[in-house]
Amino acid sequence: MTARSRRWATPALGLLLVTSILAAVAFGAVAIAPWTTARLILWKLHLAARPTGVPDSTAVILFQLRLPRVLLAALVGAALAAAGTVFQALFRNPMADPAIIGVSSGAALGAIVVILLGAGGALDAMGVSAAAFVGALLTAFVVYRLARLGPSVQVATLLLSGIAVAAIVSAVISLVMTFSGQNIRSIYFWLLGGLGARGWQSVIAASPFMATGIVIAMWSAHDLNLIALGEERAAQLGLDVERFKIVSLATGSLLTAAAVSVSGLIGFVGLMTPHILRLLVGADNRRLLPASILGGASFMILADLVARTAVRPEEIPVGAVTAVLGGPFFLYLLRRERKAARARA
Amino acid sequence: MNGRRFAPVLVGLAVLVSGCAKPGAPASAPPASPSTQSFPITLTDDDGVSVTIKAPPKRIITFAPSNTEIVFALGLGAELVGVSGSFDDYPPQAKTITQVGGSGDFGVDPNVEKVVSLHADLLLTISGGDQWKTRLRELGVTVFTINATDFEDLLHDIRTVGEITGASTAAATLTGGMAAQAQAVQAAVGHEPRVSCFFEAYYPPLTTVGPHTFIYDLLSRAGCDSVTANAKSDYPEWSVDQLVAEGPAVYLVASESGVSAAAVAKRPGFSAIPAVQGGKVFLVSSDLISRPGPRVAEGLMALARLLHPAVFST
Repeated sequence: MTARSRRWATPALGLLLVTSILAAVAFGAVAIAPWTTARLILWKLHLAARPTGVPDSTAVILFQLRLPRVLLAALVGAALAAAGTVFQALFRNPMADPAIIGVSSGAALGAIVVILLGAGGALDAMGVSAAAFVGALLTAFVVYRLARLGPSVQVATLLLSGIAVAAIVSAVISLVMTFSGQNIRSIYFWLLGGLGARGWQSVIAASPFMATGIVIAMWSAHDLNLIALGEERAAQLGLDVERFKIVSLATGSLLTAAAVSVSGLIGFVGLMTPHILRLLVGADNRRLLPASILGGASFMILADLVARTAVRPEEIPVGAVTAVLGGPFFLYLLRRERKAARARA
Repeated sequence: MNGRRFAPVLVGLAVLVSGCAKPGAPASAPPASPSTQSFPITLTDDDGVSVTIKAPPKRIITFAPSNTEIVFALGLGAELVGVSGSFDDYPPQAKTITQVGGSGDFGVDPNVEKVVSLHADLLLTISGGDQWKTRLRELGVTVFTINATDFEDLLHDIRTVGEITGASTAAATLTGGMAAQAQAVQAAVGHEPRVSCFFEAYYPPLTTVGPHTFIYDLLSRAGCDSVTANAKSDYPEWSVDQLVAEGPAVYLVASESGVSAAAVAKRPGFSAIPAVQGGKVFLVSSDLISRPGPRVAEGLMALARLLHPAVFST
């Protein structure tokens, strides 16, 4: 990658995000022309008269179904990508993803317990999301406490504790599912991940946490660069390493918990988006974080668009789409980069 | 935690569970007719397996609540030594019979040891579970599979069960009565305009039934012009966008979906659906329509009444 292409990457990703939003709002089981969308939005903002010749159902689809879903996709994609970037820098491990310290498994267990306890109507409410959020943060806290020996937390211990706790929680989930009877369909849906069900409720519930997490992550981008050099170097360069580790863990966990609680388990985005963007903009977190956030949001929106329209009017799980679309693209970039590196050598 | 690993099992399970719903009022079973057929009898079951039954079974296990209902309705309750599980709740006597289910990774397979220990001479089941079926056959248990794809096929399946259990006469009486009820529904709503409707099997995600399912056939017979006619899969996850755009006049909810009509109306976007605006959101007993058994005719009548209230009010 040249310095020139790096400079243009962020504006280009911004443009991609805007284009993705426009496309995702326009397409679906029913197509809504961008012009119609614009007129309806102006009307909603009391800036224009109600557009004539647009059926009521179109307005309902736009405002109650499609807009919140597209925004939620953007938020979830951005949060997962940001969490993945933070964890990869903090753990100095390319395998780190938002689920790395058991947050996703904890969220799943929380959600599943509420699905099993709350019969019927409870599922329509936000109870499942709230339980997932609590389960996620509790798990992160438990992992952190387990890994903490004396005043400091060893990153390797944290990683292993996270993997062990996640394995235990996953086993409990399998056990619970064995006895879940008819609710297994809701659990299955939740495990696969989806953005459809709850509209603005989810957007409103998750966005404060996600916004907070993203602001803290952006603000600590420079410190993430330091920690990537190793803890000793970072400390020599003036970073309060222990405090920074706690803040980063909390930030990543908060972002993941917020995303998982409203979307279920959507894999791949958090792991691969930072890698893909690193190939495009380099490893400097001050550039990588915003790029990952924009890229993750766009990718999630497009993946959900495919999930909604590929076998229209049926829907397919968005988590499957993210991996199927993103995997080959990542492998292509990876091979191209390696080839270029070899040619330079 | 990776949920994708569970996908195939769970899809199969969803189908199985949808075939197992809950109770209503007891039906009076005709007495078991004396065997007039000749045994041994060899038939090909709905898995395509050729099964030979040497003598009228005296120790039957049913694996699926629908099959339990069929066996009781044929007057063979006394021969039943095992049922699948707690879903087998109709008729009420079924609840006292040994349960053989609850095994396997997802708790939906029969416990092979328990089945063998009951010395069953027939295990009557539904599609799915090839592994344990093979295992049981190796252990000498006669396994017979029925899988009703529509109402006519259900009548055929019940007659088949009659044949292999020596209860052909009872099966003929039972299916004759069911056919007559279906005929009555056809006579009442057949000439009425079809009503655009949507059937919710489960939520969330919004799950409905495709045209090749048993429930879809009942809906069609009851006069429903389903908005899911172009569905490709059997239990598709349906786009709410599409549902709002189609605007069905009647919205039917399987009772096992576990929601109230009021809760349906409150979901994002649903306020624009004519069925919601017109108070035409109805709960339908899952037991009567999703269990391919003797009470399906009753379920068909219930659906017809909801879709065409005017025809039945007079």
